[in-house]
Amino acid sequence: MNSQRGGAIDQGAAGAPVRGWAQFKAIVRKDLIRELRTRDMIVSMILFVLLAMVIFHYAFSVKEGADLTYFTGGMLWVTFIFAMLLGLNRSFAQEKDEHCLDGLLLCPVDRVTIFLAKTVGNLVFLLIIQAVAVPVFTLFFIERSYLGDVLPFLIVLLLADVGICALGTLLATISMNTRSRDLLLPILLLPLIVPVLIAATGATTLIFAEGAGLADLLARVLFLLGFDAVFLVAAWGTYDFAIGE
Amino acid sequence: MSDAQDRQDGAAPLEIEVDGLRKTFGRREVLKGLSFVVRRGGFLSIFGPNGAGKTTTLRMLATLLTPSGGTVKVAGHDVREDPMPVRRAIGFISHNAMLYPDLTAQENLRFYADMYGVDDREARITELLERLELSARRHDVVRTYSKGMRQRLAIARAVLHRPRVLLLDEPHSGLDPRAVDILDGLLTEIRDEHTFVMVTHNIAKGLEWGTELMIIEGGRIAYEHAAGVDHDSFSAVYREHVHDGSVV
Repeated sequence: MNSQRGGAIDQGAAGAPVRGWAQFKAIVRKDLIRELRTRDMIVSMILFVLLAMVIFHYAFSVKEGADLTYFTGGMLWVTFIFAMLLGLNRSFAQEKDEHCLDGLLLCPVDRVTIFLAKTVGNLVFLLIIQAVAVPVFTLFFIERSYLGDVLPFLIVLLLADVGICALGTLLATISMNTRSRDLLLPILLLPLIVPVLIAATGATTLIFAEGAGLADLLARVLFLLGFDAVFLVAAWGTYDFAIGE
Repeated sequence: MSDAQDRQDGAAPLEIEVDGLRKTFGRREVLKGLSFVVRRGGFLSIFGPNGAGKTTTLRMLATLLTPSGGTVKVAGHDVREDPMPVRRAIGFISHNAMLYPDLTAQENLRFYADMYGVDDREARITELLERLELSARRHDVVRTYSKGMRQRLAIARAVLHRPRVLLLDEPHSGLDPRAVDILDGLLTEIRDEHTFVMVTHNIAKGLEWGTELMIIEGGRIAYEHAAGVDHDSFSAVYREHVHDGSVV
């Protein structure tokens, strides 16, 4: 150790507060590096999504010529939410390894920064899954081109993803310290996320089946926006408690 | 005791002040009103049987647990009311490394340096890795490290941000003799610049380093003494207060 810096050691301890943005980036970067190196979360999520689509495809192809158009939104979001459950469980399991969560909580970081960074990390993973899943889904189930409706689709996708990841991150944090966290997370998340799934499923189905524009989806988009705001604010107020003892 | 009083007495200011500390988990009361102080530059060695409340005390000093009653101040800040300056002021070394096994040593230290806002990040990391003899393995993922190497890296993590208080929870646990030598060498180097609280079962190490000795039993302080007690006398005192055979 540099003993000549003895004075600096003391002063460093009480130095200027660390900026939340730098800490936010550090947590997101750490989670991404770790996941890109191990791929244990992404691979299981992608495998699940592809398997679900193949099963849906063969299940619905029993009757030739069946019109699946109005099932597409439901199939897509059921697949995404269960894939995300796999990912959410893993995203905090890694923090428990080697007591890394203690290391994180020892840092002078606002707990809301941890929440936002974890939410963004989960959002990135979900978007990666969707980037793989949506083209496959389109190939299997969508007969009409929805190129002209890509923007409304992306808006619905992003708003629903934010809601799922914000609520999912909050609940994964709460269930992390329980013995039956794998069981508790779906029990907590699924009932609370139903409003988002209903809005997203309805909007997605309309886009795939009828080519609905943003104006047609306004009520659902506003609902998703409101849901995101409510859960982001709720997490803001409760995360310190949720991640504590 | 006030700072003004301390200056008048020529005593070092108080770095850690614990007053009537209680902790309950559900209905179980783990700590039953602990009170003690550690002056700046002091080294408190805490002994006691498993389940006595030693680690719980340390985790409350580190802001990882919230006290159920009483007050705890570290570096002049209340751990409950003002935890951020406390977190900046402390380094925590435990037998759990608190390192991400799938990141390299350098990535782990960069992450923690960013979390603490270490200005001279790369220079500081290089300095610590060299001092802890880990430079050659800095690009290897921590999963491939031995227990001793992980513990050395955990020390680097804990002192990276130049804390003024070091909390040590069984730091020698599971270390090979070489790692114990490195840890002790490091503690010797930084001894004068820090205040320490160490929880240990190892009486020899606790007596070697401690300027203050304490035995906790059943959530209460069973014995307090300034350093200067020899091993045999302290072992006898320990056995008098504790009957679990955990003396090393």
